[in-house]
Amino acid sequence: MSLASPHYSAWALLRARLAGSGYWKPLWTGRALKNHYDVVIVGAGGHGLATAYHLARDHGIQRIAVLEKRLVGYGNVGRNTTIVRSNYLLPENHYFYEDALRRWGTLSRDLNYNVMYSPRGVVDLAVSDDEVPALARRGNALRLAGIDAELLDVAALERRYPEIAPRRARRFPLAAALVQARGGTVRHDAVAWGYARAASALGVDIIEDCEVTGVRVQAEVAQGVETNRGYVRAERILFATAGHTGMIGTLLGVPLPIETHLLQAMVSEPIKPFLHTVMVSVFPGHGETYISQSDRGGLVMGGHLDGFPSYTREGTWDRMQDVVEGAVDLFPQLGGVKIVRQWAGTNDMTMDGSPIIDRLRYNNVFLNAGWCYGGFKTIPASGAACATLVATGTAPDLIKGYALSRFASGHLLDEPGRGPFPVRL
Amino acid sequence: MKAAIKRVGTRLSDKTIQFFFDGRVYQAQVGDTAASALLAQGVNALGRSIKYRRLRGLLAVGPEEPNALLTVGLSPMVIPNVSAPQLQLREGLVLKSQNRWPSLRWDVASLLQLGGGFFGAGFYYKTFMWPSWRTYEPLIRRLAGLGEAPGASDATAVSVEYLRCDVLVAGGGAAGLTAALVAAQSGARVLLVEREPVIGGELEFESAVIDGQPAATWVATTQKTLESLGVRTLTDTTLVGGSEGVYIAHREPGGLAGHNGVFRIRSGGLVIAMGAIERPIAFVDNDIPGVMLLGAAERLSRRYGALTGRRPVIFANHQRAYAAAARLVKAGVAVQAVIDTRPATVLEQDATTVRHYASLKASGVLCLSQSVVVAAKGRRAVTGVVIKHLVSGQAKRLPCDLLLTSGGWSPAMHAGLQGGGVRHYAADSGAFTAAQQPTGRVTVGASSGCFELASLLTEAARIAAALVSDLGFKLDSPRPPMGLGDPAPQLMPYWRSPCTQALEKRQFIDFQNDVTVADLRASLAEGFIDIEHVKRYTTLGVGTDQGRTSNVLAAAILAEFKGESIESVGLSRPRPPYHPMTMRAMAGWRVGAALRISKRTPLHDWHVAHGGVLDPMGLWMRPRFYLSNGVDAATAAVAEARRVRTTGGMVDGSTLGKIEVVGAEAGLFLDSMYLTKASTIKVGRSKYMVNLREDGMVLDDGIVLRLAPDRFIATTSSGHAEHMLSHFEHYRDVDWAGRAVTLTDVTDAWSVIAVAGPCSRSVIQKVLGSDWHARVAALTHMDFARGEFAGAPLTVLRASFSGELAYELHIGPSAALALWEALSAQGLEPYGIDALDILRVEKGYLVSSELNGETTPDDLNMGSLVQLGNPCVGRALLNRPAFSESTRARLVGVRALDGRSSFLAGAQLTDPSSTRPLGYITSSVFSPTLNEWIGLALVARAQAIEEATLVARDPLRGQETLIRVTATVHVDPSGERIKS
Amino acid sequence: MTVLSCPFCGVRELSEFEFHKTLPNAGDDPLSATYFRINRVDDSQEYWQHVRGCRAWLQVRRNPSTGQVLEMILLGTRT
Repeated sequence: MSLASPHYSAWALLRARLAGSGYWKPLWTGRALKNHYDVVIVGAGGHGLATAYHLARDHGIQRIAVLEKRLVGYGNVGRNTTIVRSNYLLPENHYFYEDALRRWGTLSRDLNYNVMYSPRGVVDLAVSDDEVPALARRGNALRLAGIDAELLDVAALERRYPEIAPRRARRFPLAAALVQARGGTVRHDAVAWGYARAASALGVDIIEDCEVTGVRVQAEVAQGVETNRGYVRAERILFATAGHTGMIGTLLGVPLPIETHLLQAMVSEPIKPFLHTVMVSVFPGHGETYISQSDRGGLVMGGHLDGFPSYTREGTWDRMQDVVEGAVDLFPQLGGVKIVRQWAGTNDMTMDGSPIIDRLRYNNVFLNAGWCYGGFKTIPASGAACATLVATGTAPDLIKGYALSRFASGHLLDEPGRGPFPVRL
Repeated sequence: MKAAIKRVGTRLSDKTIQFFFDGRVYQAQVGDTAASALLAQGVNALGRSIKYRRLRGLLAVGPEEPNALLTVGLSPMVIPNVSAPQLQLREGLVLKSQNRWPSLRWDVASLLQLGGGFFGAGFYYKTFMWPSWRTYEPLIRRLAGLGEAPGASDATAVSVEYLRCDVLVAGGGAAGLTAALVAAQSGARVLLVEREPVIGGELEFESAVIDGQPAATWVATTQKTLESLGVRTLTDTTLVGGSEGVYIAHREPGGLAGHNGVFRIRSGGLVIAMGAIERPIAFVDNDIPGVMLLGAAERLSRRYGALTGRRPVIFANHQRAYAAAARLVKAGVAVQAVIDTRPATVLEQDATTVRHYASLKASGVLCLSQSVVVAAKGRRAVTGVVIKHLVSGQAKRLPCDLLLTSGGWSPAMHAGLQGGGVRHYAADSGAFTAAQQPTGRVTVGASSGCFELASLLTEAARIAAALVSDLGFKLDSPRPPMGLGDPAPQLMPYWRSPCTQALEKRQFIDFQNDVTVADLRASLAEGFIDIEHVKRYTTLGVGTDQGRTSNVLAAAILAEFKGESIESVGLSRPRPPYHPMTMRAMAGWRVGAALRISKRTPLHDWHVAHGGVLDPMGLWMRPRFYLSNGVDAATAAVAEARRVRTTGGMVDGSTLGKIEVVGAEAGLFLDSMYLTKASTIKVGRSKYMVNLREDGMVLDDGIVLRLAPDRFIATTSSGHAEHMLSHFEHYRDVDWAGRAVTLTDVTDAWSVIAVAGPCSRSVIQKVLGSDWHARVAALTHMDFARGEFAGAPLTVLRASFSGELAYELHIGPSAALALWEALSAQGLEPYGIDALDILRVEKGYLVSSELNGETTPDDLNMGSLVQLGNPCVGRALLNRPAFSESTRARLVGVRALDGRSSFLAGAQLTDPSSTRPLGYITSSVFSPTLNEWIGLALVARAQAIEEATLVARDPLRGQETLIRVTATVHVDPSGERIKS
Repeated sequence: MTVLSCPFCGVRELSEFEFHKTLPNAGDDPLSATYFRINRVDDSQEYWQHVRGCRAWLQVRRNPSTGQVLEMILLGTRT
């Protein structure tokens, strides 16, 4: 009897029905921790797992372990608002996010796991004519890069998305929107589980409840990691620990251009689907609200950071209130719909708002971090590119801009022009 | 419709009302809930589950009800998912069942349940991949959701009240009342919130005597005592969030949004006395309508005299079942049997129970110990049960029309797990309780896992006394109430009845999301073992009921499968809000126009009255243009700008930020804040200055005026005013701590009227009168003079944002309108922000899109200012290599190559032969002076050469324009006019 | 975290305050001071302002894993 998870399909579901229990197998197997690996990846979130998968699949690396302090997919990959899009302004970002968006299109079949990529469109709303030039600048940059973007005026917005009633009197009247039709949502947990299953099938050891507590170094070469289950030798080490990246800096004695902040999300009770796209709006002097409706019917919402460094994963009531106020402003008809649950993730906010994929202090230690709000949507691209970096030692062009050196050189990737203050809107 | 016999219940009045359910008229008595009225009239199917669409009745009476959710109102103005047992009926209320088509009884999609094993947990992840999920998603979405999505809402803003107290008691049952009493007697200000419309909790039906009085009397007496001690009680109000002394409570009378309110409560202490949630036992088909929690039946019977069945079977694992059965028998219900999972010896340990047992037997009630219900029978309603003796294995069938189950209680302690609360499992009562509470927070009563009245009262009093003592209140020997109620449960945890593995898919745990024992088993088999994984994989506990009836049951069954203790399985982390809360209630009064304040200048009403079209700019409302000058923004703004250049005009600049900087070291302080020095400005002069952000990017620009050697006013752009103040204050307090600099925000103390154009000097002189005539005449560029106008302070600053001869009149707000009208009387016409932008772009002055946080001084052609060498904030980081590369953008002017075509801000600039962006257009206007489109752009230094040809590509708006690079100053490059 | 105690105003709700940034390490050059941080999970030195209150700038030492305030210094009063 094979331990491997059987191929998934409608036929398999039928066969399983006939076979009774025992047909389905664990998605990833709880293999024993070995004492030596070619690559040790710290963090079984989206980026760590995707990198492991690509290291095994694309680079033929045999001995890979993903060490996870808690559970597969327990961090931000399972706490975000599931939005995927590539409508970023800067070329370093939009080419990279676009690579991810293209991969989302085929990921379910690549992994043989339905991650439910739903290209339902992402609509960035502008609440004054003043915002239109910035939207246009971004949209035009995207179009010239071959990435879809459309600018809708109020009349077009009304035709396309009557549910938002763009002409309704509002404190901040809607003025225009930048739409990326191929943007949408992906079932978040499925991404972690799908990659874990696929990586496990390729022989990657995924070890949960295994906390890395130190890195052993000799002659400026990392030798391996100390864990709560003992020492593990590693030829190369990748840290992909998202909200806990700051701690990795502490562990290695390297200050990082990162602060850890809380980002929360919330969901309403399920109602019959009426919102078939993702709406995003920033309200001056107030905050931000992004809202979509899941395939279960719940309205999934998020907004701005809670506003101060935190690892508590307990979002503030006031921020939830800000987000909900924005949602009610966009859709006053939802006033009577109830919020049932709020949660929060810890975000590794970099000082320019863009990620870092680079070597970290030692030649054989790598960092995949600084995902700010955008980590989930890049996972497939990040995994592929990061695997190339770890396997070959050279960063592919797609992620050259994400080097740590950019802060000193001035090649900052500051999309909103916010400067080194992650909290500012 | 048949006239129902009047029912008697603690919450009912005699008055009858009518309501509608699924298109039919029903009767109710005032005080009835939707659930009680419908059940009393024989309607026992109230909803369908979300996944398999199984027909469901009522499980619980409370917010934990998973299935009996109704839609209230008529499309489109509906409120979905309203809990039927909490919804108090009003005359004419229109209710609809949910999640069914075409009717509740006959639902097409319920055929899904035939696929049982096929559609188990994780089913979606395994299929629908070819060709893509998008192919199937629209159909799946059609089946999704519960209630109808509202298409409109007439609800108004919800009031938010701010309250303060020393002790907040959440829950007005026996424990909560006791705690409130003790706290109030100590002199603490106490606020009591109770979810139900009346206080009393379980005392509403429990057979109890407290301090020698029947429970109901004691509740009434206590209520009076609390009132006399000044305790405010909020009924229909639930604690929904908060920690550390700030709590949110939500009042929802009648269980329906519309009359609700929100309370933000600051309290020193919190007593969590929110009771416990009764939980079901898993057996086959435990979800058939007519299978109900025992406590729900007691509440229905006592409050509303409403029981669907007359011949119930009770299935439980504790002593309380006998007391409840006795009460039901007393109420005239023909209880058929009490099925107890425990051995008879446990039962016999308690005298009261023995008495109940004997009287039940005497009334012909079958009482079986060590027996369980293994299955409920019936299709649309329960018609019988299959019971089995746990030792002998003997099974038999009993007819019944109601099956009341109780597997024990799960303490309600969401609030006790935030901010450092830790959970602990008590194996004897099968209850998770909140342990290790932070200072100031306690749990009492059933919330703390205490289920017996006598000890609960003593403990609640003791805990409350300790709490108030911690808070500094003195208590003279508190006397706890003495009471006797239902016997201690002596519960023996029992979670699910035996069944074959094939039938586990009909042992329901989460009744809303259709999570069954089979799903838990499948989850484990597929490697989802941790409770957080199980929750995510099976959707356990993520419904509107927040898993209240299912989470402990699921943990117990997982423990069984995993061979672990329930404690080590644990529960998934509870999340706020502790009770579902409507979005409008959460938003409070911040809805509609009140979402955020609107800031208005003193001239606001004038603008509105004179055809000004106002647009939000941040929180400000500013006139973009005036309808008197053209029908739309483009025509009006061009006309307004042209007029400024030919004769003159005035604009309301009151939104400009102004910071008064005072002190012996004010000049030096400002030197450190700006790229150039302020300390060299002469008194009576002003200077255009630029700030840098810490990373060297240009943050803001403005004019700094020196009023006196130790007194400056720094103006900021409107959008940056608040931030600039904080920025200055930060450096004042951190780097300049203790030195002689004070900062005062005087933004609202000065209104600003900017007068520009050839006629500006003469108009101002006329308006200000002879006193000012010579002083105005004497002002050279960047000079200012101070005095008064109409009794208000006035500063006349000769400065220009238009390139024309121009003055800024800083006037005390009280006289702003008078001054504006006086200028208007001299024939000066107003212009708006759009015209101001035209004038600025014509002169190459920066507007907000160039100050976008991405540009260095050098990028904005201010490199020479950096060269002056003033050490200021942000300067140190300007030397980074990227900032001088040939690809780095620099500000240039742009015009159409043909002198006619238009181009818009936001267009990307490329070489004619390429589509690779080299820069973009930051601002574009039609220049009435040059009669062509002009703009500013940030272009890579290599291409930022005058007369270079580029293409402005604007695929979004279907424009492509050949443009040429020019100097940034389009009009009057020598600056003749400004000096005139 | 739901409240902070301002040295001037007493315990106030968090919404009155704004976090600015975590403190640079002593002796950092401008580049490090601007961008680089030691992120300790149990100890964070931060600048806050009581911006919707008395506008005092505060130096707050907090445990970001619990929200507990370990030390609060009122800035601007050094002599």
